Amino acid sequence: MAKQIVNAAPAALAGGILDIETQLRLERFLAYEAALMDEHQYDRWMTLWADGEITYWVPCNDDDQDPDTGIAIIYDDRSRLGERVMRLKDKTAHAYRPLARLTRAVSGVVPLSAEGDELEVASTFVLGEIRVGVQNIWFGKCVYRLRNDPEGFRIRSKKVMLLNNDEAMPNLTFLV
Amino acid sequence: MTTLIASSRDYGALVQEDRVHSSIFTDEQIFQDEMERIFHRSWLFALHESEIPRFGDFKLIQLGRYPVIATRDEDGEVRLLINRCRHRGAQVCEASRGNAKRFQCWYHGWTYDTKGDLVGVTGQEAYGDEFKPEENALTRVPRIGNYRGFVFASLAREGMSFDEYLGPTKPLIDMIVDSSPTGELEVRPGVVNKTMYRGNWKQIGMDGYHPHYVHMSVFKIFSKRESTTGSAVGALQLEDPFDDSSQSRTRGFPNGHACLDFREQRRPHAAKAIEELERSEEGRQYVADMIAAYGRERAEELIAWHGDPHLGMFPNLQLIHDHIRVVVPISPDKTEVLMYPVFLKGVAPGINAKRLRAHEAFYGPAAAGSPDDAEIFERTQRGLLGDADPWILLSRGTGREQVDADGSVAACISDEITQRAQMQEWKRLMTAR
Repeated sequence: MAKQIVNAAPAALAGGILDIETQLRLERFLAYEAALMDEHQYDRWMTLWADGEITYWVPCNDDDQDPDTGIAIIYDDRSRLGERVMRLKDKTAHAYRPLARLTRAVSGVVPLSAEGDELEVASTFVLGEIRVGVQNIWFGKCVYRLRNDPEGFRIRSKKVMLLNNDEAMPNLTFLV
Repeated sequence: MTTLIASSRDYGALVQEDRVHSSIFTDEQIFQDEMERIFHRSWLFALHESEIPRFGDFKLIQLGRYPVIATRDEDGEVRLLINRCRHRGAQVCEASRGNAKRFQCWYHGWTYDTKGDLVGVTGQEAYGDEFKPEENALTRVPRIGNYRGFVFASLAREGMSFDEYLGPTKPLIDMIVDSSPTGELEVRPGVVNKTMYRGNWKQIGMDGYHPHYVHMSVFKIFSKRESTTGSAVGALQLEDPFDDSSQSRTRGFPNGHACLDFREQRRPHAAKAIEELERSEEGRQYVADMIAAYGRERAEELIAWHGDPHLGMFPNLQLIHDHIRVVVPISPDKTEVLMYPVFLKGVAPGINAKRLRAHEAFYGPAAAGSPDDAEIFERTQRGLLGDADPWILLSRGTGREQVDADGSVAACISDEITQRAQMQEWKRLMTAR
């Protein structure tokens, strides 16, 4: 998010910590992830996650609210995320039927740090949602921890900071 | 049709024993009258006292149409002050919470303290000697009641006493408070799910008939889990609490309060709940502390009940599972729902963290339960507009009600006693002279 980018080491912004080719791969990866979320391709989206421990975190009230002492909108490990995807796909979960139509634009993709094959990356999105005649516009910033494998990037953790995470919000019935 | 009935203001005719007229969910004029006759007259939940623990702590709340500042004054008292400068009416506080010893209006600089007293007027001499600051304090909410940390308010100077308002619901409030071994709860400032749905505020309430349909997807998933005794749909691997053959009951109290009463259904599950808790050191300590505090018999039932009274206090408070829920009507077809997770004092951090995860699993805008509830309220709101046949049926189980010793009325879990209790209180308040 902006705060993370503002606080990043000047070197990460001036020269950049990735070569241009890796930066392009990274931006394509995030565009691909966005497309899978827009199109409700839940199983294919799940394959973008790394093996081992993962965290999918959408904080509530404050971008940095500690999940041990405060609440989260989403705070999923692999098993909770698995149940979430089961419900997203379940026809009896009527909040998701009909599915929302979604389009999101991802930009501001800034690698913040690199350590071994792990990257920390910030990005920003604007998301339009239309469902049952109602249009909502969502804004958010993400910080990913990605593993840069030869076969592609994989997500170890993803934190999504919604601009309205301390406001009364309608149903969030899709992936962000 | 709807408009004619609404403008006649014959609210008695809109609520019958077994049915209500759908205009009470859709009509703008009725909504405005609800604000005056219910929200500005009855008792309302304001906040939990732990949200403003220290001198100068404040929080903005909404009581009916009134913006209100809840403060903790220098004597340790909770004050509820209408957030409106006595000079030209601007709000004197804009931050949703914080700590301040003074509230200064940025229009002309009038300044108030934590009791609401006017302590500074810019150029006071121009008002002359007859100007009395003490007559221009922030308007105080006239009546405040506090039951075990739950602070309620009445905007009416006179009316039903707080004690009468609570009536026989006190043991249910005790259930949530006494799930802490020290009998103390903490609601952390700023830790709250804030959600909204495009539907009427009376939609969200106690309904034991809906879970099998609205929450079908959750039943499917939770029934696969090994352990769900602390979850929103209860211990499914043991039995279904929403089956009419279970010991669960719907219960209606005086003054519109109502609950889904799982006490008898859950009581036999105490041993199982304790066994699960005792798998961790923190859980073992919790069980031991509960027994030390309340004795074995009481501790066992409190643990079996999970601190979940599943109680609706008419019109704006619900105590469900691990949270305090505040219903904020915005318009006939828009409602905000604030869900504050409750932290137990006197327990290890892991116990509260586990409660948070259980809460998040079901409640909140992206959880497994709340979105399906909000969705069905919105579908209802859209459907109600087609009022060629305007009556909504609330008659389920009228033939099998039974009156219990505390004066409450109970029947099977899927019966619509809760809705009938709420609507009869609605009628009483809306037709009161």
